[in-house]
Amino acid sequence: MKTKLASWQEEWGYHLLLLVAVFLMLWPIVFMLSTSLKDLNQVFESTLNPLPFPPTFDNYTNVLENFPLLTYIWNTFFIAIVVTMSKALTSVLAAFGFVYYDFKYKETIFNGMLLTFFIPITVLIMPNYLLMAKLGLLDTPYGVMLPSLVDGMGVFLMRQTMRGIPKPLLEAAILDGATPWQILRKVVLPLIKPSVLAISILFFINSWNEYFWPLLILQDKHNLTLPLALQMFISAEGGSEWGVAMAVATLTSLPPLVLYGFCQKFIINTFMQAGVKG
Amino acid sequence: MSKNSFQAMLYLLPAGLLFLIFFYWPLLQNAYLSLFSWNMVSPNMKYVGMENFSAIFASPELWKIFLNTVLFVVIMLVLNFVLPYIYSFILGHVITCCQAFYRSALFLPSTLSLAVASILFLWIYNPLAGPLQIILSWFSLESPRWFKEDYLVIFAICTIIGWKVFGYNMIVMLAAMVAVPKELIEAAMLENASNWTIFRKIILPMTSSTAIYVFTITVVFGLQYVLVPVNMLTQGGPDQGSSNLVYIIYQYAFTFFQTGRSAAYAVITMVCYLVFLYVKNKFLEKKVYYEN
Amino acid sequence: MEEIKNVEQTNEYSIIFSNVQKAYGKTVVIEDLNLEIKQGERLILLGPSGCGKTTTLRMIAGFEEITAGDLFMDGRQVNNVPPGERNIAMVFQSYALFPHMTVWENITFGLKLQKLPEEEITRRAKEAMEILHLEGYENKKTHELSGGQKQRVALCRALVKQSPYFLLDEPLSNLDAKLRQKARTELVKLHEMFKPTMVYVTHDQIEAMTVAHRIAVMNQGRIQQIDTPYNIYHHPANTFVAGFIGSPAMNILEAQVLNNCLVVGDSVLKPSSALLEQIGSRKKVLFGLRPEACAPAFGDAMIKGRVDFVENTGNLQTATLRLPDGASMYVQDSHQDTSFAACAGVDFAWDKVCLFDEETGANLEQGGKQ
Repeated sequence: MKTKLASWQEEWGYHLLLLVAVFLMLWPIVFMLSTSLKDLNQVFESTLNPLPFPPTFDNYTNVLENFPLLTYIWNTFFIAIVVTMSKALTSVLAAFGFVYYDFKYKETIFNGMLLTFFIPITVLIMPNYLLMAKLGLLDTPYGVMLPSLVDGMGVFLMRQTMRGIPKPLLEAAILDGATPWQILRKVVLPLIKPSVLAISILFFINSWNEYFWPLLILQDKHNLTLPLALQMFISAEGGSEWGVAMAVATLTSLPPLVLYGFCQKFIINTFMQAGVKG
Repeated sequence: MSKNSFQAMLYLLPAGLLFLIFFYWPLLQNAYLSLFSWNMVSPNMKYVGMENFSAIFASPELWKIFLNTVLFVVIMLVLNFVLPYIYSFILGHVITCCQAFYRSALFLPSTLSLAVASILFLWIYNPLAGPLQIILSWFSLESPRWFKEDYLVIFAICTIIGWKVFGYNMIVMLAAMVAVPKELIEAAMLENASNWTIFRKIILPMTSSTAIYVFTITVVFGLQYVLVPVNMLTQGGPDQGSSNLVYIIYQYAFTFFQTGRSAAYAVITMVCYLVFLYVKNKFLEKKVYYEN
Repeated sequence: MEEIKNVEQTNEYSIIFSNVQKAYGKTVVIEDLNLEIKQGERLILLGPSGCGKTTTLRMIAGFEEITAGDLFMDGRQVNNVPPGERNIAMVFQSYALFPHMTVWENITFGLKLQKLPEEEITRRAKEAMEILHLEGYENKKTHELSGGQKQRVALCRALVKQSPYFLLDEPLSNLDAKLRQKARTELVKLHEMFKPTMVYVTHDQIEAMTVAHRIAVMNQGRIQQIDTPYNIYHHPANTFVAGFIGSPAMNILEAQVLNNCLVVGDSVLKPSSALLEQIGSRKKVLFGLRPEACAPAFGDAMIKGRVDFVENTGNLQTATLRLPDGASMYVQDSHQDTSFAACAGVDFAWDKVCLFDEETGANLEQGGKQ
């Protein structure tokens, strides 16, 4: 049951307002999809028509033939999966340290970790770039991964979730003689599994979409990730590559969209949790 | 619970070490590099003391950059803070059906890459053949060159960020909106309070902590999101017209190869951020209603 | 040192608090606790919320550090022994069942951690589940269980450990009234079977009276009285215990002492010689009388007053008697046909009266000192 704050006429007005927003949000995506299915003529002659007729997959075959697209997909995936697993692991471990133990400067250390979340990336890129250069990791996926193996927001969110576990559950395990490691594995982890999964999905999407840091590290055409590959199609501004560019954009967007489609409720709930501070 | 701080450190170690190496060490290194003149490749670094800073403060560029930054922040606050707040209120407390649909639809762009968003809007804003130009031509208007004009470029870039971030911020605030107990609103309605009163006296105070969080991330992350379209579409142009405090650090390091200047800007930006976070904690958080 | 030696000679599985203090920062929660819990007894910690009873229990479990003093278990000082090594079974108020495990996994969790042989685990779990009528629930998840079943699983999980110490923190407070009575009886039976040293925290006096061998009534971090339920009820050590136990609580009225007589309201009463002896040279005492020890009087009453209000609970009538000086007292009567309209006061027998010191509140029976 909802508490009604508006009469039905007013409510229609609000729905209109919402539909305008929905249109503005979805139209670019529809537009991207439809343009990717248009041939050169259609792109310029029926620009606004959302239903290309006849639809053509030429843009996609064109990209697949002329660019190492599968390599890009693999590069992006490889980096994203390693980053995701590492972020989830380090976040869970650190969060458990904060929740289960009492030690000096606990709050300070925690705030120090959370603060990293707010440091602008460009402040970090030059020193980290120099470090990667020194380690000989330029133009490798490892150079992209290394500074992204940990996440301040992840530590924060995992701590929030673990705090939600009723204390008696942990105490019952302690009384049974469980070691901290056993408590983490057998009690805490099974209980927070949904949150770990949800935040992992977010980590994955974010890493998949990452543009700036990979841009600095990756040079060789075969090492690029999908968001970087997109850059190649906009050099000729006003040129005729729009269909192709939109095809690559669509392919780049596909995994996040599919993940979102399947785990929509899950993702939204996690995002919602993220905002509720504690 | 347990007081074994040695064990605690073992759990914190992986994260802690990575944070130190990749987040805190760079901060120190920036401070160090800001005292030198160096081009990132040459083997000799020249110690110049505070020269980088004095050069920055003496140049008109800083003020342009600063103004741009403020403009970015203001527009993004409207698009990504005020609007989502209003929409989350409507979604959470005014309309009586279809919330799930609106929520899903509005959130969708948040999952896409900023690189995708940039390239999409580059085409949409294309002044010669782009769809927006076609729509404008219906009203016999001529499309401006969105990414080539001062100020307009900032607005255009902000709309890209707005498109991408609106849904995310709205969802976060929606969480706070629906957490406001219905009984409170019903009690106020029994007192015949107007919608405006309910909004001001109940919704606003009870969602303020989340609102401040969204305010903070809008400012802090907004400027970082901006990096992607700026770098892909304008490279800071026209004539630094779309550069800002965050982007300029990158420009000096990787476009102009002046690491000292870049590091000095990094120090300045970091100080600005810390001041912002400090002021926020000091003054805003105090006025906030927290449940616990 | 002398004391510790002494302790070692006591019962095997006793729990002894010796001058224990517990403080959080500067807030002292428990000041100076001395308590001996004997092997195999059922001791109940009873008191209002915030009295320190749960803290006391958690100190036994090892979840709360002891600020000062000693805690002995099994004759050993255990102040710094971690909870997992104290060999304690505990039932939590919320039951603390692991929601991601089945009933069987919950029950065998601790045993598996102890690395007991598989047959032993199965045997113990089967036995305990039989006792608690949980057969057939092995593969249920805990959220599929009713409140009563959850409570039994929690008991079962404690039971399989076969620990000599059995701690319960308000184990029945989440059950509805009917179930609570049944669970109470089962709990006592269960204890009789295995006779562990049982410490039970509750704020429910009925639970305390029916389950306990001995009750420790606590208030503001101090033990007010430790005794059998009978003595706690009939010989409360002070006005706090008198007022806390019983529903409605004991009537406590101010009484002047005048020429070997007590003046209550405007009634002059002639106490028994035993009570006179207790009064000694005091000028004023507190006069305590349980509501059910009062008999409504018609005509000439020992304590005069008029009835303000009557509540009928079917088996009992409880009347509020207003005395001429404004004080009031409860009168309980089990006769349904008594009409309180004509009631002129109450009569009572002197052996039911408790007298308390006016300043300390201590029962004069025990010398009037605390």
